[in-house]
Amino acid sequence: MIKKLPIVCPSCSSGLDVISLHCDACDTTVTGKFSLPVLLRLEKKEQDFILDFVRCSGSLKIMASQLKLSYPTVRNMLDELIIKIENLDQDV
Amino acid sequence: MFKKLTNPFTYIAGKKSLLIGLLVIFATSIVAFYSNTYFPDIISVKMGVDLSLISGVTQNFLNWIVVSLLFYLAAISLSKSKIRIVDIFGTQALARIPYFFVSLISFSEVIDLYGKYLLWVYMKHGEPIEITMVQKSIAVFFLFVSLLLTIWLVTLMFNAYKVAANLKGARLIASFIVIMIISMVVLTYLSPIILSMIK
Repeated sequence: MIKKLPIVCPSCSSGLDVISLHCDACDTTVTGKFSLPVLLRLEKKEQDFILDFVRCSGSLKIMASQLKLSYPTVRNMLDELIIKIENLDQDV
Repeated sequence: MFKKLTNPFTYIAGKKSLLIGLLVIFATSIVAFYSNTYFPDIISVKMGVDLSLISGVTQNFLNWIVVSLLFYLAAISLSKSKIRIVDIFGTQALARIPYFFVSLISFSEVIDLYGKYLLWVYMKHGEPIEITMVQKSIAVFFLFVSLLLTIWLVTLMFNAYKVAANLKGARLIASFIVIMIISMVVLTYLSPIILSMIK
């Protein structure tokens, strides 16, 4: 089972920070307070959209044809994602 | 299935919808010529009208061009997205598919007969018409289907504009209503001028 990275606090719905990171190879644990980068604060499907977009060399036409959606639909999804990223940037 | 019928533009837009839409408008004009149906503006329908084929084709293409052009101007002024003209014109062309079915319904002589019957009964206009209960029921059923097709047309036009222009909320609804009204006003004045030029 692939674990889903929690990005929102289940108690108060605020954004979560990273407190510890662990190396499986040497069993080292690093602790501290690290903010999640913008990309990791997006939903899984939004992250997948960005990955698909990069894999399609940034071509919305190719992406639309792969997703079997129309060009304006994919462009609208991208535009909504841009607005969300801008809002997340402002929150930092 | 319902989503595909009311918003096919999630899946189809651009050149593909333009090509299909142009064929739909042309086919509607041909059928409307033989069924004596006339579409004087973007949503109105007149049955039992004798109009030449070229006038019918011109009117139907004019309806589509005027409304698409106004939607395009609204989209580039109101939307933050990069708008493609082919998406606006293509989706609006495809949105006219319900009126192909309306022009088919007009082949039924019952509606024309029922119209004449109503004119005689309520306005004493024309000649006395005898109409059976079955004919009345069929006419009412066809009128109801025509109403549903008109609702489908407006829904398709709205969704076409929404997808192609990437607008939401009050901005989308207000601009859609305003453009529908402006289109009808423009076509009321423009259509007679254009049609008189091709006669």
